Amino acid sequence: MLTCAFERRNSKLRGTVSSPRLRLLGSSVATKLLIGITGLALVLYLIVHVVGNLLIFLGPDFFNRYAYTLEGNPLLPIVEIGLLLVFLIHILRTIRNFVLNQRARPVRYVEKRRAGWPSRKSFPSSTMIVSGLWLVAFLLVHVKAFRYGAEYPWPAGGRDLYRLELETFRSPLVVAFYAISMVVIGAHLWHGIASGFQSLGADTPAWRRFILPAGKIVAVAIAGAFIVIAIWAHLQGAA
Amino acid sequence: MRLKLRIWRQAGPTAPGRLEDYAADDISPDMSFLEMLDVVNEGLVRQGKDAIAFDSDCREGICGMCSLVVNGVPHGPDRGTTVCQLHMRRYKDGDTITIEPWRARAFPVVKDLIVDRSAFDRIIAAGGYVSVNAGGAPDGNAIPISKAIYEQAMDSAACIGCGACVAACKNASAHLFMGAKISQLARLPQGQVERASRVAAMVHQADAEGFGSCSNEGECEAVCPKEIPISNIARITRELVKAVWRGGE
Ligand code: FES
Repeated sequence: MLTCAFERRNSKLRGTVSSPRLRLLGSSVATKLLIGITGLALVLYLIVHVVGNLLIFLGPDFFNRYAYTLEGNPLLPIVEIGLLLVFLIHILRTIRNFVLNQRARPVRYVEKRRAGWPSRKSFPSSTMIVSGLWLVAFLLVHVKAFRYGAEYPWPAGGRDLYRLELETFRSPLVVAFYAISMVVIGAHLWHGIASGFQSLGADTPAWRRFILPAGKIVAVAIAGAFIVIAIWAHLQGAA
Repeated sequence: MRLKLRIWRQAGPTAPGRLEDYAADDISPDMSFLEMLDVVNEGLVRQGKDAIAFDSDCREGICGMCSLVVNGVPHGPDRGTTVCQLHMRRYKDGDTITIEPWRARAFPVVKDLIVDRSAFDRIIAAGGYVSVNAGGAPDGNAIPISKAIYEQAMDSAACIGCGACVAACKNASAHLFMGAKISQLARLPQGQVERASRVAAMVHQADAEGFGSCSNEGECEAVCPKEIPISNIARITRELVKAVWRGGE
């Protein structure tokens, strides 16, 4: 009797609160869309990040002033919280999606091969979950090292991040860890950038011809630039 | 020619299955892949053994019944070809060929290489049709549709519902199958009335059947015997956003 009433209330709730169309937001297609949007937002952030870091080549004065201006921006906490949210949505929704996708094939093939062109399947595309989880671990180390790293004061105001960077990369182990992690980022984006746009619903023949190579070029450029910075900082710090 | 076959045998839906070895002798290169299996089966029946169960119907690449994963690729090595249209001249004497059924939670094995694909029927029954009351039959030329549009709609309508897309996808996703029908009807005037409710119903049904999501790898497009591109999947997203945006129901 009680359970019956409960069930009736439950089904009523389901019927009135969410129309089938709103329930679509929990569907496999909406999951894709959400992972795509958050992923592309993170790529945008990475591009800003790498361009900012390249300023280190202009010397400690310029680099520290840039960082100081950035930190002085009153919008920074809001951007940081937004960034954290985007990361969390991207990571949690992907993990849930991965688990559901694994369940969709309980018995595996004894023999499975790639179908070849025009499939985009590649080693990076089939290891997105691995590269993604690696990057979560990397992020924890990275944020701890820089965002919450040593606070060397810079006379003109703010932190001496130039010095912090050179000191951090003095250890060849740190350089190696960063270089490997950047290769992992490159691999993640190798598939991720074009895939993100595909998830947004963008796909015409002309767009396809553009975004498939462009996504890979951006992936290599981002990863390459970060690696160059790390090695340069190591050599600079060792000198 | 002589071939070594490794074929998935499974007595029933809940029985454990395994690959078993068979020898296929006296195979002509002109035989189709399924004729080769017929020859093997005749041999088994002569020995009083249980024939290998596999699906087929038209054997001319149009019905979508045949469904074999050959050496790890659904429908075998040829692009835009069903396995019934694959021919033995594609193989060399002495080759070993592994044959498995489609594998997906939503496609349970019935026996050996036969799977139950009625999940696809339920996705279509959920919304892959036009059921508006349009009154009497209109004049054939009263609804003009441009060549570009009807060609696109026909390209999507080419889907024969074989399920190779699901079989090839690492997530066993039905998005290409679903996207083909959604795209076809979204392109045509007849499909407009139910456009939003269709995408909602089909997406919910596919998820409820236990198919996975899409990782944009495009294995589905590569094995599709009708070469239906994944731009049909991209269209699901656009249709879904429009449906949620307009709301209602
Ligand atoms: S048997 Fe009809 S398509 Fe292969």
